[in-house]
Amino acid sequence: MIETSICQIVFYVFALLAILFAICVVGSRNPVNSAMNMALSFGCVAAILFGLGAQFLGIVQIIVYAGAILVLFLFVVMMLDLKDEERNTGSMRSAAVGTTIAAILAGLITSISLSLPGATEISCPMAAICDNIGELAPGAEATQATPTPGYGGSLPALSPAAAAKAVQPDISDAEAAKATSMQDIRLLGQTLYTQYNIAFVILGFALLSGTVGAVALARKIRKD
Amino acid sequence: MIQNLPWLFLLLPLVVAAIDWVCFSKRPCVAATLSLLSAAATFALCVAYLLGLETGTPGTYTWMPASVEQLNLHLGLVMDPLAMRMMLVVTGIGLLVHLFSLGYMKGDSSNLSRYFAGLSIFMFSMTCIVMASNLVMTFIGWEMVGFSSYLLIGHWFHKDSAADAAKKAFITNRVGDFGFLIGILLTLGIFGTMNFAEMGGKAAGIAPAMLTVTIICLFCGAVGKSAQFPLHVWLPDAMEGPTPVSALIHAATMVAAGVYMLVRLQVSMGTAAFTDTACMVIATVGAITAVLAAIIATQQDDIKRVLAYSTLSQLGYMVMAVGLLAGEAAMFHLYTHAWFKALLFLGAGAIIICCHHEQDIWKMGGLAKRMPLTVLCFLMGTFALIAIPGFSGFFSKEAILDAALAKCPVFFWVGAGVAALTTFYMVRLCIVAFLGRARDHWAEHAKEAGATMLLPLLVLAVMAIISGYGFIADWLVPFEGFHAHGFSVGLPFYVSMGALVIGLFLAVAIYGFGKRGNDPLAGNFISRALRNRLYIDTLYDKVLIGGIQEMFSHVVEFIDAACIRGLLAQGLAWITTRIGILLSWIQNGSLRSYTVAAGLGVVILVYILAFQL
Amino acid sequence: MIPLAHYLILSGILFSIGLAGVLIRKNIVVVFMCLEMMLSAANVALVAFSRAQGTQGIPVYDAQVLSLFITAIAAAEVAIGLALIVAMFRSRRSVESTALNTLKD
Repeated sequence: MIETSICQIVFYVFALLAILFAICVVGSRNPVNSAMNMALSFGCVAAILFGLGAQFLGIVQIIVYAGAILVLFLFVVMMLDLKDEERNTGSMRSAAVGTTIAAILAGLITSISLSLPGATEISCPMAAICDNIGELAPGAEATQATPTPGYGGSLPALSPAAAAKAVQPDISDAEAAKATSMQDIRLLGQTLYTQYNIAFVILGFALLSGTVGAVALARKIRKD
Repeated sequence: MIQNLPWLFLLLPLVVAAIDWVCFSKRPCVAATLSLLSAAATFALCVAYLLGLETGTPGTYTWMPASVEQLNLHLGLVMDPLAMRMMLVVTGIGLLVHLFSLGYMKGDSSNLSRYFAGLSIFMFSMTCIVMASNLVMTFIGWEMVGFSSYLLIGHWFHKDSAADAAKKAFITNRVGDFGFLIGILLTLGIFGTMNFAEMGGKAAGIAPAMLTVTIICLFCGAVGKSAQFPLHVWLPDAMEGPTPVSALIHAATMVAAGVYMLVRLQVSMGTAAFTDTACMVIATVGAITAVLAAIIATQQDDIKRVLAYSTLSQLGYMVMAVGLLAGEAAMFHLYTHAWFKALLFLGAGAIIICCHHEQDIWKMGGLAKRMPLTVLCFLMGTFALIAIPGFSGFFSKEAILDAALAKCPVFFWVGAGVAALTTFYMVRLCIVAFLGRARDHWAEHAKEAGATMLLPLLVLAVMAIISGYGFIADWLVPFEGFHAHGFSVGLPFYVSMGALVIGLFLAVAIYGFGKRGNDPLAGNFISRALRNRLYIDTLYDKVLIGGIQEMFSHVVEFIDAACIRGLLAQGLAWITTRIGILLSWIQNGSLRSYTVAAGLGVVILVYILAFQL
Repeated sequence: MIPLAHYLILSGILFSIGLAGVLIRKNIVVVFMCLEMMLSAANVALVAFSRAQGTQGIPVYDAQVLSLFITAIAAAEVAIGLALIVAMFRSRRSVESTALNTLKD
């Protein structure tokens, strides 16, 4: 039980941090600050991905987003020597409009998430508050009787034993039961290189063309 | 005994007209020959049927089927004596006119293919009227003759007067046709049928007022087509067309179609359908036309106009006879008149050609010496027209006067007066044009017309003399059960002889054997009024064209300005501009407002998808 | 354990903040950062779903592959986007989105 609590605490803490840093990205006037905050926010997201058991994706998140992309952004900001954004009444008005739209969207997504069948089964601090919303949502009652295992409720626990069995089919049940880690990268790689092989190759071409395009766009146009 | 042979009457001229127009528009000789052949063929066919060599009765076709039986539009041919003998007139005179046209139109620079195609299409349309088995078919033919008359009057369309006359004829006829169409619909309404064969005996159960209205509406058509007062104005102007056309269409056949149609209705509906009021209206209109036209004719100088007004006057006679329920007399007169008036017109045509298109009788004179044969034929026609005993016109006029005396003496005296006037103006015409010395260069050098013109004249002259005699008339007059009255000496005879003598005496006294070079009656107030056609045309010009047309032009202008230009053109443009301005506010080119719109769109989409609105 | 709904809510909030940034900020570079945040928010949701849909204790890796693709595309996008921004800065001497109003003409 205590393990579960730590997991929960870690999630909520990082979630809160991710949101805070994200707000800072939008709020800060200096682009450099924005970029740093973005890196921090991505780090928190990576932590949440770790918590979800997607170690590989978490690492990619850090390397690609917090590493490569951040460096690119910082490089461009430095190169262009961008000044702070000045604020005027027009921007205040558009800020109000943008915030309102974003808030409405957030509210919508929240209410939809909470209205997923079985979302209220979990003993979470918000459950009591969100009770009514869940009941009001269309179709909620009908599916509550037989909750779909995939949606709502707690996420199913990971089973390292099953994962080991999936990676090595010839392994005995007893040995599989001894497995402690998920072998996440191996499973992901299996899917990526078999089922999504062609898409993966095409993705490589997309990256290549992106690189070429970036060079073509950014080079100085000669006047001759 | 080919059953559907009679359809040739219709199809032959129509096909020939189409071929003339489409294939031979550049080869007038071929076109003329084809038209002549088709006229000859229909004439031969007609004679064959009359002689009983060919007895097939044609089938009836349903042209436009309708869900209600009585609304079916049939195409059928009537082959009764009335129709067949009228066909004899149409095809016979048609053939002679085709022949005459060959000579008359020789050397004419206009498109002769068009002319002969027009003649053929007229033959088709006239056949359609005469042989129609129902009112709708009559109406189709009715409009088609109007159309072909328009084509032929306006044959020399480069002359403004001809083009105007063609338009005038067409438009004036529209007025009458409007009434005719209403009459046809009323007939369908009260009789429940448009077929002539089914109308008989149904008039008994119908309210007289209804019948009166129907008959008068149908009569409107005749007023237009037969140029009765007050729609008579187009016929004198129609003389702008080539003279053979005037002979065929505007003297012998088409203008008689109104009379024929009325008689056809009398025969098929029964005289009971013609209520007293309707008859009174018809007879009065006919009498007014007869008197008016005869009076105006006394002061016309144009040889064709004299004949045109004479035609009007004679048509008035016939219509009067129809109004007096003397259909047989009307048809008898129509029949004799067709021959002698065609003769007069063709004679006039020959004279005009020989005088190089001079139509003023005061510039002729002395023609009797230079073209005796033509003048002789013309005189035969004249004698028939002024009803000298022994000529055909005498018998038919007697028949009408007899009927008038029996029914209503007023019309008898009117008829007698008109007869005196007719004698006067025809004798005046002959004296001035044929006697005395030539008053013009062309008249001095006039020569006898060619054979193609003389032959029809001679044939018609013979017909003008003999067509009134009892036994021939009995056989030929297009009226079932007709018997020519024996020559009887009574009041009508004395009166008409008196009228003849008075007219003759006055004309000779005033114009004195062509010694005078100008009209002694001209110059005074009455003469001016008569020369201006009693100002009726002027009145129409002022009231209809000047007044009503002005008014309508204002209405049209208002509609054009307010509705079309203001509301549609400018209004639409204004609305489009406003919408454009409104939408250009959205399309402001600012990236951020586009993003806001996109974000808003996402929110709305999510809302709709999630809550399945 | 943490329910799926909370991951989704987190994802939604991060996405909305990204959207707000796109709508509010005038600096194109920051707008671009916000776009990246929106993409990574989608990643969170995808991975959460991959766990939730898993059977017998193994997550559905299709969703994670998709998430990987998104990351890769985002990297390419950043490369191109920043190149565009540099080109734009060269021609207009500005990276403000208000400067991008030639659509109006």
